[in-house]
Amino acid sequence: MSGTIQDTSVDAIRSWLAGRIAFYLQRSVEEIDHDLPLVEIGLDSVYAMTLSGDVEERYDIEVEPTMAWDHPTVNALAGYLHGVLGSRG
Amino acid sequence: MRYPAFALAEHLDHGLGDPRDPGRAASFARCVELDSREEFPAEICAELDRLGLPRWYVPTEYGGELRSYEELLHAVRILARRDLTVAIGHGKTYLGAVSAWVGATPEQARRVGAEVLAGSVISLALTEREHGSDLLAGEVSAVPAGDGYRVDGEKWLINNASRGDLVCVLARTEPAGGTRGFSLLLVDKRRLAPGTFRCLPKERTHGVRGADISGIAFTGAEVPAEALLGPAGAGPEIVLKSVQLTRTMCAAMSLGLADQALRLVLDFATAHRLYDRPLVDLPHANRTLTEAYVDLLIGEATSVLTARGIHATPDELSVTSAIAKYLVPTMMDRAIPRLGQVLGARALLTEDHADGLFQKIERDHRIVGIFDGNTLVNLNTLVNQFPGLVRGYRRGVADPGLTDTVDLARPLPDFDRSRLALLSRTGCSVVQQFPVAAAELLDLVEAGVAPPALAVQVETLADLIDGLHERMAAYRPSPRQVPAEAFALAGQYALAFAAAGCLHLWLRNRHRLAGGATGPLWADARWLRACLHRLIGQLRPAGVAGSAPDDDGEDYDRLLPDLRAQHREGRLFSLLPSRLAEAGTPPPDPPSETAGQPDEQPSRTAGAVTQPSEVVR
Repeated sequence: MSGTIQDTSVDAIRSWLAGRIAFYLQRSVEEIDHDLPLVEIGLDSVYAMTLSGDVEERYDIEVEPTMAWDHPTVNALAGYLHGVLGSRG
Repeated sequence: MRYPAFALAEHLDHGLGDPRDPGRAASFARCVELDSREEFPAEICAELDRLGLPRWYVPTEYGGELRSYEELLHAVRILARRDLTVAIGHGKTYLGAVSAWVGATPEQARRVGAEVLAGSVISLALTEREHGSDLLAGEVSAVPAGDGYRVDGEKWLINNASRGDLVCVLARTEPAGGTRGFSLLLVDKRRLAPGTFRCLPKERTHGVRGADISGIAFTGAEVPAEALLGPAGAGPEIVLKSVQLTRTMCAAMSLGLADQALRLVLDFATAHRLYDRPLVDLPHANRTLTEAYVDLLIGEATSVLTARGIHATPDELSVTSAIAKYLVPTMMDRAIPRLGQVLGARALLTEDHADGLFQKIERDHRIVGIFDGNTLVNLNTLVNQFPGLVRGYRRGVADPGLTDTVDLARPLPDFDRSRLALLSRTGCSVVQQFPVAAAELLDLVEAGVAPPALAVQVETLADLIDGLHERMAAYRPSPRQVPAEAFALAGQYALAFAAAGCLHLWLRNRHRLAGGATGPLWADARWLRACLHRLIGQLRPAGVAGSAPDDDGEDYDRLLPDLRAQHREGRLFSLLPSRLAEAGTPPPDPPSETAGQPDEQPSRTAGAVTQPSEVVR
């Protein structure tokens, strides 16, 4: 996956993130509320750090493991990542 | 050859004097007596202040002498082998200050450094009565008031909360809490208004009975704005990074305690005769001793690599520090009671055998496992990183710092706190480079330099480590409830790290170390064979029959002369040459000026001097 061109629109990032979170929580993607804090959806703070590894794999960028602490909802994360990816060059 | 990282440990051990001499303030007899009276070892801690130990708690850039965590590792180890209460009662100030080294502004850190150098006791207050180790559930609050904060609530089960001059408190700074809702405040108890705080009574504990394990309750305690360490909301992140440093030091405590347990049992087994022979010459007894010795060597290799990694590969510490903190205390929790079986009923006596020291060591050691995150917390840290560890292994990722980590002769780069990370981006290079090390070993066997038995071991390990990564890859992460199988995989990963680490260490250091006091261990790779033997046995999935054809334990028996020599000569049970206070001669030079000193030769005279004591005891 790494290195391949990914769709970096906010929508695409958002639905990919929701898919990963649904996978971890073993729930359907429709159940993931994009505006609820991840902790309230059921992804605890330590675990939310592992999302950063997924992001680095998919988009070939480096992000802080604490990105989900500073951007604690799917929408906040998608907006943040879109910003990072948009400025990538 | 010399191993300069032992210099500080030797300085302290010789400064405190021979622990078997009851006339010494820091004698074993005195430590046991203080423990039974539940009295804090204040006199010994004052002695450590006099020996300058606080200087090594403070990084050089903040005014101290801490430039090598490898050196600090061995210092903690040597104090723990004398008395764990002393090690934690004094060493707690490092724990109280480490948040400043990791997260404070340089100016703040220099201020904290000045406090430590002046002899102030600093405590770290994370836990609360109702919430155990769940930091984000903490209720102690700090709300902005005037120019600073107003602190309310109670911290409990805090080492040195009462004795401390300053307490580094994790407090809720956002009512809603969360990962960005807590901050660290360095509260100066000496400057709090009277009546705004109260120290809680000392709790009675099973081990470390003399330690000041107490608590502190704040009621409207006002602290100035500069008490805030690092940015507001950075508390959890700073704490999680700081424990990467302190977890490695917990491994050192286990090493020290197990070292002394083995020493006591050897004292006994050398002097005690059964069927007309010293106990140490009976096969069953000496197998127990050599197995414990091998555990110590594995633990030492794991700890040294982790401590060197603090400098050379700090980005991987989230993995390696969890491994060291899980593996070493867990191994010693098994090894120490087994050693007690050689003593028989004497192990339980509080007075008759060796002043009752063994039973104290056994009690004290049980607490190490729960410091700084218990076994499950550490294994969980590894489970959460399985995807990255599997990726790193499949790609053979190697951090450039691996060379400095494994080659003990290479100078370590200064510790760079900005490289600490809550997850490792490069996985774990020690394990990921195992296949490369294995290929090098096979070449050495081919060339007749390494014994053929090692080739079989390394090939067996390669299969086991491959299989382990396949099972780790198949694990589907579950944020809710981590299944027992995942913990078991993480435990095996720790064993794989130890095995890979031993192989790297032997390959990179065998030339230089084959000539020193521990040379025989290195020359024919006998320590490596015994360690790999033990680790392979534990890595093999349960139920898989058939072990190495030479499983009559010869690999262990070959170490008996080395073990007995280290005991006789007053050295740490170690891959590396050291000299304990029991050896009688003072350390050759003060710790800060060790570089470039001439090589040290093992002294037969010193060995002979210690021999009579074995008979006496």
